[in-house]
Amino acid sequence: MSDPVTDTAKDVRTRRKRRRSGGLHIVVFLAPAVLIYSVFSIYPLVESLRLSLFDGLEDGTAVWAGLENYATLLFDPNWATQFWRAFWNNLVLFFIHMVVQNPLGLLLAALLSLAPRFGSAYRTLIFVPTLLSVVIVGFIWELILSPLWGVSETLLGTIGLAWLYQPWLGLESSALTTVSLISVWQYVGIPMMLIYAALLSIPDELIDAARVDGLNGWSIFWKVKLPLILPTLGIVAILTYIGNFTVSFDLIYSIQGALGAPNFATDVMGTLLFRTFFGQQLQVGDIHMGATIASMMFFIILVGVSIYLALVQRRLQRYEM
Amino acid sequence: MTETASSHRARASRLRGLSTRAGVHMVLAGYTLIAIFPVFLVILNSFKNRRGIFTDPLGLPGEGTFSLEGYATVLTQGDFATYFSNSLIVTVTALFLILWLGAMAAHALAEYRFRFNTLLGIYLILGIMVPIRLGTVAILELMVDLNLVNTLLALILVYTAQGLPVAVFILTEFMRTLSRDIKDCARVDGLSEYRIFFEVVVPLIRPVLATVAVFSMIPIWNDLWFPLILASGDATKTVTLGVQQFIGQYTVNWSAVLASLSIAILPVLGLYALFSRQLIAGITSGAVKG
Amino acid sequence: MSELTLQDVRKSYGEAKVIHGVDLAVKDGEFVVFVGPSGCGKSTLLRMIAGLESITGGDVVIGGEQVNDIAPADRGIAMVFQSYALYPHKDVYGNMAFALRHAGEDKAVIDERVRKAADILGLQDLLKRRPKELSGGQRQRVAIGRAIVRDPEIFLFDEPLSNLDAALRVQMRVEILRLHQRLKTTMVYVTHDQVEAMTLADRIVVLRDGRIEQVGTPLELYHHPENRFVAGFIGSPKMNFLSAERSGDGTTVTTHGSAPIEVPVQPRDTEGAVTLGIRPEHVGLVAPGAGDLDARILVAERLGGETFLHFDLGDEGDFVVKADGAATHESGETVGLSFPPQALHLFDAQGAAFAPRDRNALIG
Ligand SMILES: Nc1ncnc2c1ncn2[C@@H]1O[C@H](COP(=O)(O)OP(=O)(O)OP(=O)(O)O)[C@@H](O)[C@H]1O
Ligand SMILES: [Mg+2]
Repeated sequence: MSDPVTDTAKDVRTRRKRRRSGGLHIVVFLAPAVLIYSVFSIYPLVESLRLSLFDGLEDGTAVWAGLENYATLLFDPNWATQFWRAFWNNLVLFFIHMVVQNPLGLLLAALLSLAPRFGSAYRTLIFVPTLLSVVIVGFIWELILSPLWGVSETLLGTIGLAWLYQPWLGLESSALTTVSLISVWQYVGIPMMLIYAALLSIPDELIDAARVDGLNGWSIFWKVKLPLILPTLGIVAILTYIGNFTVSFDLIYSIQGALGAPNFATDVMGTLLFRTFFGQQLQVGDIHMGATIASMMFFIILVGVSIYLALVQRRLQRYEM
Repeated sequence: MTETASSHRARASRLRGLSTRAGVHMVLAGYTLIAIFPVFLVILNSFKNRRGIFTDPLGLPGEGTFSLEGYATVLTQGDFATYFSNSLIVTVTALFLILWLGAMAAHALAEYRFRFNTLLGIYLILGIMVPIRLGTVAILELMVDLNLVNTLLALILVYTAQGLPVAVFILTEFMRTLSRDIKDCARVDGLSEYRIFFEVVVPLIRPVLATVAVFSMIPIWNDLWFPLILASGDATKTVTLGVQQFIGQYTVNWSAVLASLSIAILPVLGLYALFSRQLIAGITSGAVKG
Repeated sequence: MSELTLQDVRKSYGEAKVIHGVDLAVKDGEFVVFVGPSGCGKSTLLRMIAGLESITGGDVVIGGEQVNDIAPADRGIAMVFQSYALYPHKDVYGNMAFALRHAGEDKAVIDERVRKAADILGLQDLLKRRPKELSGGQRQRVAIGRAIVRDPEIFLFDEPLSNLDAALRVQMRVEILRLHQRLKTTMVYVTHDQVEAMTLADRIVVLRDGRIEQVGTPLELYHHPENRFVAGFIGSPKMNFLSAERSGDGTTVTTHGSAPIEVPVQPRDTEGAVTLGIRPEHVGLVAPGAGDLDARILVAERLGGETFLHFDLGDEGDFVVKADGAATHESGETVGLSFPPQALHLFDAQGAAFAPRDRNALIG
């Protein structure tokens, strides 16, 4: 075997032999992501926790305050009313999403999983609001619900319900519910998609087997499909819970402003944090109280996630499909 | 994968009664209408003059009501070209970093055995559970120290940190399913670990990268919180913040408000029309696994 | 020079020891096959030779040079993988040319070598196709072509045919054999299919739990297995084992109440029970009472060309005899079994074989 072709190959080969690579490339692959993530995500979270344990002085320095800020937030009448009201409003928001958004998502997903004609068109269009900025969504609904424009009244009029119309966003009694429903309108696409995917992953044989066992459409849904997608419903619930504390700010801030108008009826933890941190009207900004509120949100989310992991996740074992 | 499943079910559903089918379509079509009607209404009215908007909000723009005055106001009064280019720079750069750094990290986690592999993996996806906004107080301080307030770079860095956990999570899951043989083969072919990543792994994960891209893009493009806090200066405003503040100033000029909303909506809808298949496939497959 | 030498090669993953010191010398141009049960470390050993796994202890020497720390690409090896491992984004030509292009080889040289390899494997018309447009057999051919193009000193194959269907496997097996005859390059081949091992190998290496059990030509392993494991592993259906008692100096045994049988092995002092081994194809069928043992047929499997008779011999479980396809024996029938002495194997309690008296005595 000594044709010229192979000879050149052997030359190339003997030129220089590289050594097996060590572990440097692993560091190179990981370092940038770990660095950016640590500096701009993990460090700020930890730093916020730290700041919440200090108090600012007039001259700009900080002194150790222990848990004083937390005590202030929870028990000082000035803060406590705001805090508990915001916390309560967040819970209401969560509750409305759980009883309206997620069942609606389940219903839509269940119907879509029957593979009706135009199914993918429905799916695509229902997801549209989810893509829009909360700010845009907020304004769209503000305009539509505005008594000035009168679109809602006209629309209700066409089905003879014009008398029902109220400036819902402006009324203390209905503002929070209205904001929640707007948010449901925007985000129902997410549970719908997640549940739809879970339903699709149930093997056809299983459904056929149930049919052979004599179950009809409804009982198949309740007795076979629903138990199998419970883990997904659990994930939807925890995502709703986490999102509730962050995303609600954008919507409320753009519709009702940082004070959670009308008269704090829609004030949530997010707006409270923003107001505290930056100051509003007479009140000056306070980073330490801001950090305290953020940390409280962190703990509240942590509690929710722990409950989910400990309770829900353990019960809802995944079935191999 | 859903192709056979859904055709199978389609057959099953065809067997069911006509009334059931009608009911299904009524609910789905009804809700679809609710979902898109408000958006449609805003875009429709943005092409009308003031009289058209108020006297006949549901009518099509026609003679005597058609007008682009709103768009004219928006384009002359607001600096939307700047806002757009800011949003674009921030979103594209952050996306690029998320995908690039996320894919590299995911590759390292999926491919190599090293100490703390699992621990590091958990650390990197922790951010899925804890919203980055809770660190805002310290992020602002950090940006002040770094002299990055009112720069697009501040937003880019924060969004990259925000997007990495989900990207790393999805990409790691996917990369674990790639065949080991093909990477080994490239090693035998003499590629360095870096070139294996760029020349073998990246082409294989391209479809998933696209999904992650669309996924990560939405919250960045739509965010109000960080532009408001970190970059609210005129030169660094993003579209979302720009629209928010523009509307704040022009509340009485309805054509302008509607036009500015439409300007913010239309590019998103355009992109969605292009990528919806990919996005939905991504959500569905991701959910099946996760 | 392309001998391959393994010297006390070891591998552990953390605490788990996977390869326990393997010594092996592969000669230039030799075709060596690693066989063994699943999980015994065949792939691990091959990947250590390739440089894809680090070496915990010992040396891998290729062409006289210790290559423990040399990158896979510079060891002068090419590897063919079970899953083909073709780059899906490159066409057949691109796949075959990839390594050379990467090494900065001249365009004309690459082209010549790719075309030559394509000729050898009959891939000329497929060069522009993507992997997903190829059948399984064609993909495997491309994978082999890609290895040929690199003109390696050693080819490594890790179960290259196990993803193919039976007919294609036979065809590719012949092609690999022809390839070896043509290139005369050293080849190391991993399989768990013993037909592949028997037909391809110059020498077979039988592995178990990270250790070499025996190395030898296919016929050596077939006729003179050094232990019970190799005896049972090589040959299909597998060798029958019968527990036996020794009498006299130890080379005469009785089993299941048979008359004493003289086994032509060298006498050796060992404690404990012995086991008699005989392959299904070597057992003779005679009239009841005329053989060494009488037994009742449990099941007769007729495959046309041959018939497998299954017997129940007490504690030994299944005892199989390979008979002529025309054999008329029915299940339930009692027949006599005769054991030709030179076809018998004897193993001690530890499973080690007694050495045959005459190593060259092969059974016809
Ligand atoms: N990364 C690893 N970490 C720990 N143990 C491993 C690892 N890779 C392989 N092993 C173990 O090493 C042993 C040998 O594996 P190997 O893949 O070499 O087996 P094999 O002989 O090729 O089997 P098969 O015929 O199934 O391919 C197995 O017991 C396996 O569990
Ligand atoms: Mg193997």
